[in-house]
Parts: sequence; C-alpha cells; structure tokens
Amino acid sequence: MNEHELDRAVSRLPKSIEPPRDLWPGIAARLRRRARRTWYWVPLAAAAVLAIVMIGRTMETHRAWDVTSLAGRPLLGDKRLTASGRLRVGDWLQTDDSSRALVAVGRIGEIEVKPGTRLQLVAARDNDHRLALARGAIDATVDAVPRIFYVETPAGTAIDLGCAYTLETDSIGNGRLHVTKGEVEFATGPRSSRVPLGAVIQTRPAIGPGIPYVDDAPLPLVRALVAFDFEKGGARAARNVLAVARAQDALSLWHLLQRVDASLRPMVYDRLAALLPPPPGVTRARALALEPRALEGYWTKIHSIHFRRIILKGVRDVDPRTGTTRQHE
Amino acid sequence: MPSPDDLVARAQAGDQTAFRELYRQHAGRVYALCLRLTGNAGDAEERTQDVFVRLWDKLSSFRGESAFSSWLHRLAVNVVLNERRTTKRREQRVMPTEDPEDVGAQHAAPVHDSSGLRIDLEQAIAELPNGAREVFVLFAIEGYGHADIAALVGIAEGTSKAQLFRARQLLREKLDA
Repeated sequence: MNEHELDRAVSRLPKSIEPPRDLWPGIAARLRRRARRTWYWVPLAAAAVLAIVMIGRTMETHRAWDVTSLAGRPLLGDKRLTASGRLRVGDWLQTDDSSRALVAVGRIGEIEVKPGTRLQLVAARDNDHRLALARGAIDATVDAVPRIFYVETPAGTAIDLGCAYTLETDSIGNGRLHVTKGEVEFATGPRSSRVPLGAVIQTRPAIGPGIPYVDDAPLPLVRALVAFDFEKGGARAARNVLAVARAQDALSLWHLLQRVDASLRPMVYDRLAALLPPPPGVTRARALALEPRALEGYWTKIHSIHFRRIILKGVRDVDPRTGTTRQHE
Repeated sequence: MPSPDDLVARAQAGDQTAFRELYRQHAGRVYALCLRLTGNAGDAEERTQDVFVRLWDKLSSFRGESAFSSWLHRLAVNVVLNERRTTKRREQRVMPTEDPEDVGAQHAAPVHDSSGLRIDLEQAIAELPNGAREVFVLFAIEGYGHADIAALVGIAEGTSKAQLFRARQLLREKLDA
C-alpha cells in the first residue's frame, strides 16, 4: 500500500460509529450520583440555590403582562375585562365573536387577540415568553433576539426569530401561519419549517407544519404541497410541485428536498438548482447528502433573494433567480 | 426538530431531556473519536460516558463562539488525553510490553463493514503504539495541525511529526502484511 492509497482509505473512514450498547443509562446514573453527592457535601450551597430558585419562581408568578380590551369585553380568568388588566402565568384570556384584546408581551412586543380566541400565558421569563394558543387567531409583533417568544398551538410551536406574524388555529391544530416581518420557525417534534416574511405555512394535527410557500404562490402549487404534506401525496405530489414551481418558490423546494424520499432527492435538487442556482461551495453531492452546512448555505442565498424580492415588491422588479434588479427597455 | 442551539440552551438550563437528545445526536461522533484514540472498545465506552458527564458540568461555559459540535469535539479530545495521562503509569505496570497478540485481544473493537479494507485499517490503527495512534488519529482523521496536537498531547511539534511518520509507516506495513 502506498501513501496515496493509505490517505484514500483514511478519508473513507466514517466520522461517526454508534456505540455497541446504549451508554445513556450509565451517564444518567452518574449524573444522579453526582447530584446526591453535591447535596451531601455542600448543603448550605444547595440550600442557597434552592432559596434563589424559590424566590425566582415566586417572582415569576408575580410577573404579568398588561391586557387592554380593544372591543367588547374579553374574559380574563373568570372576570370580564372592561378596560385593562393583568395576564398572569397560568391565566387564560378568551375573546368571543365580538371582542378583541391587546396583550403586551413583556417588554418585547405585543399581540392582538382576534375574536373567538382562547390563549394562556405559560411563561413570562426574560428568556422565555410563552403563550399557549388553544384556538383562534393572533397578530404578533415582536422586536427581540430570536428564540425568546414562543406560541404553542395544538399542532406545534411557533418560535419567533425576530418578526411579525399572524397565527391561527382551530382547537385540534388545523391552522395557518403568515409571516409579515422577519422569520418564524414552526416546529413539531423532529419536523420543522422556516417561514420568512411573505411566506405561509399550513399546520395539521399530529403532523405539524407543512412546507412554506410564498403568499402569492399559484393555487396549483399550494394544492400540490398540501397533497404532499398532509394527504400522503408522495412522489406524485412531489412531481406536481416541481412541475409548477417558479424561481420564487425556491424556499418551498429547499424544504421539499429534505422531506422527500432519498430516491426523489436528485429530481428535487436538479429542479431547485435550475430555478435558483446554488451558491459557491454547495455541491450537488453535499446537498443530496443533506449536509447541514450545504443546506444552510443554500438557504442563506434563497432567503436573501426572497427578502429582496418581497421588500422591493412594487418598487423594483427583482429577478427571483439572482436577486438583482431587472432592467426594462 | 429542535435546533441545535435550542437543545443546547435547554440543556444549559438543566433540561435533562434536551441533554439526552444532545447525547443521542453526538454519541456516534464522540464514540468514534474515543474508540480511535484509545484503540479499545471498553475504554471507548467509558471515555464516551466521561465526555458526556464532563459536558454536563461544562455546558454553562459554552458561549456559542464556535459550533457546538466543534466545541464538544475539543472537549472529548481533552477528556481522553487527560485520562490517558493520569493512567499512563498504571497502564505501563499492567502491560509493560506490547506483545502483538495481547494488544490484538485488548483492541478487539469490531467494526462491521462490507469493505474489508476499512476493518483492516481500523484494526491496524487500534494496534498502533499509543503515542503514534493519538497523533495519527488527531492529524489524519480529525484534521488537527501539528501545533494543536503538540499542545493537546503535551509533546513538541517535531515529536508529533515524527510520530505521524512512524504511524504511517507502521500502518502501511500492517496493511501490506
């Protein structure tokens, strides 16, 4: 074996090898033992930590968000809201067909609660502002660092990445998210969708978020995506998506690439690359292998062109393949 | 799927479910590193557990300046090499000579693959002397430079280069045999 053959063989070694047995039980046991030992040897420190936690929890329960009635008399807890009140952790806020309310999201934003909505304040910490939207619709506007404002719905969780959006759901999780500023991630277990401004996703119970599409997407594309995501449309639906997709639908194809069976991935990638060529460094092989860095690189390009197109809509005509302004004769 | 940042943040806040998910996502990568650095499946399992226990302690110091996986990788290298340093003398007493047959038994770390060459190569790496194996794994498989390896292992850069040369020579001989 020469040097070159050795290098080639080494380069083919896998970076990851699964342990022959599950090592987690041993790790968990050691963490538990350490926790007990710490308590035994440092009771005062543990007591101090406990006291801080208790004080923190007490303070949290006293934290509350301001609520103002915009129309009618929303129900806050078990009381009708006449003008304004405080929504505390654990409290429910409910609007009927003719009432609306405005809720201050701590100091980072606000949500308008539309008629027919029921929501609960779940957490009001500086790093975790969390609501549960049981049903109805809200308009949220948040100006904060990503991932500190969450809205849980029956179909999954909307995670704010610095944005404004409208979120609606029925009581079992059939819903819709429309982002009007920034970006939102909607996650259900291992399935998640990234929804930039000017894009929409639908949600379904037990499935979670569908593939996002631009809010002016043609109806055949939306139908094909719904068939793929929620109606077990499989390869046929995926082909329908590819047949009607335009360059401005690249964000949908980027998600589709990660959700189709591996056998369909080349077809999706080739269509995506034809509509919006990948940036330097993103190769076909790396994208087909779903390498995170390749996917992230591609997303950055898709997102920046999409952003430019949406922001300049009505002002300049932006080429959805390149993001450059089109010159007209 | 929760993003890596989200999982790390939750684990930093003490969420063991998130920490278990981090374990699930990174165990294979950490175990592969431990297996190749130690050359022994049993030791690799122990070191993998050490790494994740250490990770639980150190998570609060992760500030996100680098990718979490890179940071964890560096932590794993340090855990394995520190353990190697502290047990070196004891190991020398237990196994004063490197009888190839004994070493082969110790290094039984079967890696199943359709490629016979890969299995041979894994076995050959496992059978390298400790110093040569550590340098080879860090340089040729994990992509560290000699300056980094020298700092991590506690040797001179020249020694690292010499160990690499020795490791490559030994590997070629073993694979040709």
